[in-house]
Amino acid sequence: MKYILLMSGTKAGVDGYLAWSQKDIDAHMAVLKALNKELTESGEFVATQRLAGPAEAKVVRGEKNGLPVTDGIFPESKEFLLGYWLVDVATPERAYAIAARISTGPGPGGVPTNMPIEVRQVASYDQRKS
Amino acid sequence: MKYILMMNTMKAGCGVPSWPQKDLQAHIAFMLALNKELHAAGELVSAEGLSFPDQARQVRAGKEGKPITDGVFPESKEFLAGFWIIDVDSPERAYAIAAKISAAPGAGGAPLNMPIEVRPVMSAPPKEML
Repeated sequence: MKYILLMSGTKAGVDGYLAWSQKDIDAHMAVLKALNKELTESGEFVATQRLAGPAEAKVVRGEKNGLPVTDGIFPESKEFLLGYWLVDVATPERAYAIAARISTGPGPGGVPTNMPIEVRQVASYDQRKS
Repeated sequence: MKYILMMNTMKAGCGVPSWPQKDLQAHIAFMLALNKELHAAGELVSAEGLSFPDQARQVRAGKEGKPITDGVFPESKEFLAGFWIIDVDSPERAYAIAAKISAAPGAGGAPLNMPIEVRPVMSAPPKEML
């Protein structure tokens, strides 16, 4: 079963993260790096991506003639996807356990961020079947 | 340049849309044809469709790192319905593809004109995460 673990945050939250000390950022990244390695070794790792920040986001709609209309203004409250992990696990409980590990990633001063991680099952587009 | 195109159209608690079967099939056929076209152009990196928000769980680490799962989300929360990662020559090409997705047919075959969020993806996980 493939699950996606979504890490999201508001622009204010992202600005807060950018103000962390280098030592705190390094400690946070070391935990995520160790987790990725562990998931690779257990055969559960599928993919992970980190997205560019909210400042680089655009929202696009198709106009009547199909041409794109782009806009970079978002409500302050909007949650932006910061990154995700795709994992292939035997049970939903295992996906929740991995999400909890991500949630315990250390923040400033090594205190766990306890950030919420959204977990959902995915259906992948398989190009071999197209 | 790698970009992510995100469909964020779903609301808390919703499941499969109550469109007539014919309209659902036309919508999926549109997406499959688009994926095939992007794959043929060498622009498709990956595409994932997520399960509906009624399946989503929010996970935080509790005491001793045990997962605490919750399925209650604010009414205002936007849910990711699915996403494409594409590798294109310019941001304008990413916006053009997003405009195409925006015009996918909905109930009665009318274009949905849904907003598609577009952001650069970090081309590789940062070195410190490998």
